[in-house]
Amino acid sequence: MLRFVARRFASLLAVLLAVTALAFGAMNVLGDPLFNVVGFIASVDCDAVEAGLVEDVSGQTAGGRGDCEVIAEARREHHLDRALPVRYGYWLSDIVRGDFGTSFKNELPVSDVLRDKLPKSLLLMGVAQAIAVGVAVPWAVAAAYRAHRSFDRASTVGSFGLLAVPNFALGVILFYLFVVRWQVFDSRYDDTDLASRLRSMVLPGLTLGLPAAAVYQRLLRTDLLTTMQEDFVHMARAKGMSDRWIMFRHVLRPSLFSMVTVFGLSTAGMIGGSLVAEQIFTIPGIGRALVEAVIRDDFPIVLGGVVVVATGFVVVNFVVDLLYSLIDPRVRADD
Amino acid sequence: MTEQLPPDRHPRQQRDAHLHVQDIESQTSVQGGYEAMLGGLSFDDSRGRRLGVTFWCAIGWMGLVLVAAVAAPWLPLADPDQTGFGGRLDPPSGDAWFGTDGNGRDVFSRTVWGARISLVVGFVAIVMGMAFGGTLGILAGYFRGTVDRLASFLMFALLAFPGLVLALLFIASLGPSLTVVSLTLGILAIAPVGRLARAATLLYAEREFVQAARVLGAGHGRIIVRELLPNVLVPMSGLALLGMAITVVAEGGLAFLGLSVADGFSWGKLIVMGAAPRTLRDGPWVAMFPIGAMFLTVLALNYAGDRLRWYLDVRELAFER
Repeated sequence: MLRFVARRFASLLAVLLAVTALAFGAMNVLGDPLFNVVGFIASVDCDAVEAGLVEDVSGQTAGGRGDCEVIAEARREHHLDRALPVRYGYWLSDIVRGDFGTSFKNELPVSDVLRDKLPKSLLLMGVAQAIAVGVAVPWAVAAAYRAHRSFDRASTVGSFGLLAVPNFALGVILFYLFVVRWQVFDSRYDDTDLASRLRSMVLPGLTLGLPAAAVYQRLLRTDLLTTMQEDFVHMARAKGMSDRWIMFRHVLRPSLFSMVTVFGLSTAGMIGGSLVAEQIFTIPGIGRALVEAVIRDDFPIVLGGVVVVATGFVVVNFVVDLLYSLIDPRVRADD
Repeated sequence: MTEQLPPDRHPRQQRDAHLHVQDIESQTSVQGGYEAMLGGLSFDDSRGRRLGVTFWCAIGWMGLVLVAAVAAPWLPLADPDQTGFGGRLDPPSGDAWFGTDGNGRDVFSRTVWGARISLVVGFVAIVMGMAFGGTLGILAGYFRGTVDRLASFLMFALLAFPGLVLALLFIASLGPSLTVVSLTLGILAIAPVGRLARAATLLYAEREFVQAARVLGAGHGRIIVRELLPNVLVPMSGLALLGMAITVVAEGGLAFLGLSVADGFSWGKLIVMGAAPRTLRDGPWVAMFPIGAMFLTVLALNYAGDRLRWYLDVRELAFER
């Protein structure tokens, strides 16, 4: 087991390296690296300033530091004259120590911004998964209990339909019904206490949770049907136990396997969905911060946010892998 | 409970006996957003191999959307950009079937025109995914060894990134043009397509007809193109439809992040514009009709793709690593 964990951990590190390299590389090859660290003043033509053709007017009011000095310092500090892999090394050692640079917008450290936003996004994920599992388990049990009867058939069609609703469309529909039409929920995110925060998370949670619930329901139903054919179920039935007791106490637990597997995958899928849900329901999480930063060309935030989100994604998959091997030892053997 | 039952079967399960194994297999193979989306939607196939009426309905709808999108300039539609076609936020009527938006533009016409960008993005992306992912997968599966390890790690790393975040990164750096959006979503399609192509190639690479070709002196290129490619393309056709559905949705997601195609409008952008609280309150049709169009199209693509995958029986391919 220890060797298995060690190997998985090594592959986790390799993937994290690849992912951060991809993010850093994309930002620096596709964009202008100088712009990424100093923002709009990167367009100042310093050669012309030095040659005396243009006057560097920026430093004349406050502090006396011209744009060109800032640029020169940024070049030095971020090693912009070095090759890309070297710069990646410096950058990586910075972010490992928690230094993501400073936002262009308000000069705040990116790490502070992310620390403020991350809990909201995590809460949203938690609410969404709770809704998904809470809906899927009773739904699947009811469908499996009377398999191939009308309820089961209707729920097959229903789950297929639910999966074809894009998450943003579901969000807009929920927003229309519950906020605009019936005014059950407020359109603004309410941050006063935990209860109001949870209340604000209900609709975005449903937006992310319902499609996941459809996936879980399909899986769990199939597994329940398999388990219901086991001898111990017939045994329990022969002993005269009630159907309800059998379903929840005997059949459900051994049937949860596939669902646990997909739980991790769907958490990963929700990360993308939460970007959109945070937009629709104006939740000030990582996703919204990312989108605002993109619009404002605030690259330190974009890069930091992308790294945090991608790391979360990779780590979730890693944890699922480990859980999977705990539940089913065969996974360890054939790896 | 009135059915006649063999003694050893519980009534509720007997018709499932043949079903669940396949269900589980198609499930345990799921990885990433692509396949997770199709989760568990196998169908009772006890009635023999037919694609069924619903499949052809789905194809019919896709054909209709495609024709409408291509022929939009010649159809007797209002100009989608003509403000003041009707009043501000007129409800659906005989003149404007889907109503009008906040600027008095005809929503029906805009929905038809919006299909053009949505479909182009979906099509270009999946073609790109097939071209690059397919090539990568076939080479990996055929040559094995170092090529395989490199290609597999590349696909693994691509799958390790949340798709929308990768798209955000590229589009933020390059700007939201039609080309950039299409190609970015195409990059996202490379890994899932590549995995399937690799799995299918592994399955066929050692088969007798390939060995026969080799014995007859065929080179690698000829074996790959003439022997392997036609076989690998079969399971990929179902995935192509599913991939197109996912891409059309992904483009809508990008629109909500303000990163969809800057010029013109797609379904995603129409939905975003209609989703402003005020518009939604006074004229829900502005958002709901494009949502409906997208929903039906995604449903049709999902269903047709899933059905095709089942029809061509490639579960064991998707399962094989």
